[in-house]
Amino acid sequence: MPGNSLSRSSVAGLPAGTGGALPALMLVGLFFIVPVVALLLRSVTDPEPGLQNYAALFGSGTYVRVFLNTFLVASVVTAVTIVGAFPVAWMLAIMPPAMGSIVFGIIILSMWTNLLTRTYAWMVLLQRTGVINRALIGLGIIQEPLPLINNLAGVTIGMVYIMLPFMILPLVGTLRAIDPMTLRAAALCGASQFEAFRRILLPLSLPGIAAGGLMVFVMSLGYFVTPALLGGTSNMMLAEMIAQTVQSLLNWGLGSAAAFVLLAVTMALYAIQLRLVGARRAGGGL
Amino acid sequence: MLLDYDRLGWLRVALAGFTALVAAFLLLPVVFIVLLSFGSSRWLAFPPPGWTLKWYQQLLADPAWIDAALTSAKIAAMAAILAVAIGLFASFSLVRGEFRGRQVLRGLLLTPMVLPVVVFAIAIYAFFLRIGLAGTTIGFVIAHTILALPFAIIPITAALEGFDKSIEDAAIVCGASPLQARLRITLPSIRIGIFSAAIFAFLASWDEVVVAIFMASPTLQTLPVKIWGSLRADLSPVVAAASSLLVGLTLCLMIATALLRRKLSR
Repeated sequence: MPGNSLSRSSVAGLPAGTGGALPALMLVGLFFIVPVVALLLRSVTDPEPGLQNYAALFGSGTYVRVFLNTFLVASVVTAVTIVGAFPVAWMLAIMPPAMGSIVFGIIILSMWTNLLTRTYAWMVLLQRTGVINRALIGLGIIQEPLPLINNLAGVTIGMVYIMLPFMILPLVGTLRAIDPMTLRAAALCGASQFEAFRRILLPLSLPGIAAGGLMVFVMSLGYFVTPALLGGTSNMMLAEMIAQTVQSLLNWGLGSAAAFVLLAVTMALYAIQLRLVGARRAGGGL
Repeated sequence: MLLDYDRLGWLRVALAGFTALVAAFLLLPVVFIVLLSFGSSRWLAFPPPGWTLKWYQQLLADPAWIDAALTSAKIAAMAAILAVAIGLFASFSLVRGEFRGRQVLRGLLLTPMVLPVVVFAIAIYAFFLRIGLAGTTIGFVIAHTILALPFAIIPITAALEGFDKSIEDAAIVCGASPLQARLRITLPSIRIGIFSAAIFAFLASWDEVVVAIFMASPTLQTLPVKIWGSLRADLSPVVAAASSLLVGLTLCLMIATALLRRKLSR
């Protein structure tokens, strides 16, 4: 082992340093890879060998609508999350640490609070007779209660709420890494604030925005809990459809085919994200 | 001047205002649910007509809720211990190993975090149905350990990358065995990473809903499964009481983390 002879625990017959990864590899291999591969095989063997499950999936208007709806929700959630997260990350990157730590504390509290707890709160808040509708009516902004739950609006609000921390935290890192001197230089050269933003700050933060946005998009595509609780039956998302097909309809072949589509899209986007940020930082804001 | 806090001008007011709004948005449901849990209205009217502790009394008097919480704690503790132990060994290999495919291995071990949970949930459910582990505590622990593993590996590898290996080598040169050097030099140095790993792994299992919904049986329910069931049935204020206790637990964890980090990093 060139240059690294000390404290090398080598397992017989294996390249040095692999020994420690063996338990993890066995665990992931046996209880992750094998079940997932078995599930994917089921999509072409259940109830009989062939591609009939995929034909059913892409041939039916119902399922195609589920796909389109999933992409629509994920896109809207990603766009709203980016717009909401960018100014906050910007502020957090430059504000005095004492004030910033309060905002960071709120972000962590929201992120660590039980997922079902947060979703439950939104279910109550967004009801027809909920606080939000009552407040809007009280302020005279609307006359009739808005339908905010069991539809796209409810899912978007609930999902943006969950995704915001995942976008804000990595973006703070991106913005902090930008040298303020570049912007001072722009100002000295006569750039207006808007020009400096459009031609310097935004392009320099674009890799962070793209990486974060892709992560939010991928997470949204496969999200189950929030759409199931805040969404309606008319705009079901893919994850919920997969769960229902397997759990209620017991149609494992069709469910596995849908799972494969979700997996393929997720992995393709994940590969793009890895290229954007490098494998090292793919873990997000941990 | 866009990155100079003191020279932002009017933009600073706008950004600060927007940040305050987003912070309020993030805080709103958490505060709301705690207030609601003390409200006396069965129909979750807000502001509540009166204040009461009866939802907490109902919650604590119901053995099903207590059982679910204990089951969750037990499974999360076991999954966290397993994930941290297995993740620790894997991290040494990922950071220090010199073999081809190290990055591939890293990607593979982190995949459970990226793969949509619902895909893993039905896959492991089908697998456990076949080998007889569905609805068992062992099955639960195995599935949650898989999901918790990336959350353990990320902070530990990060800590290990930040640790200067020559210190460990120096200990060996001074006569320590490789094992001694790792136990007495390296592990204490990366304890913050290990500690974060334990918290994240615990939370990954404690909060997990999707796999749990599939794995649960009438006799084996975790807290999220119990809450999920109540949410689908009705929006009882008892759920608000349970949720508030969870918020309290989160706050305790946050404070404990902050204190411990401060103490450990000294």
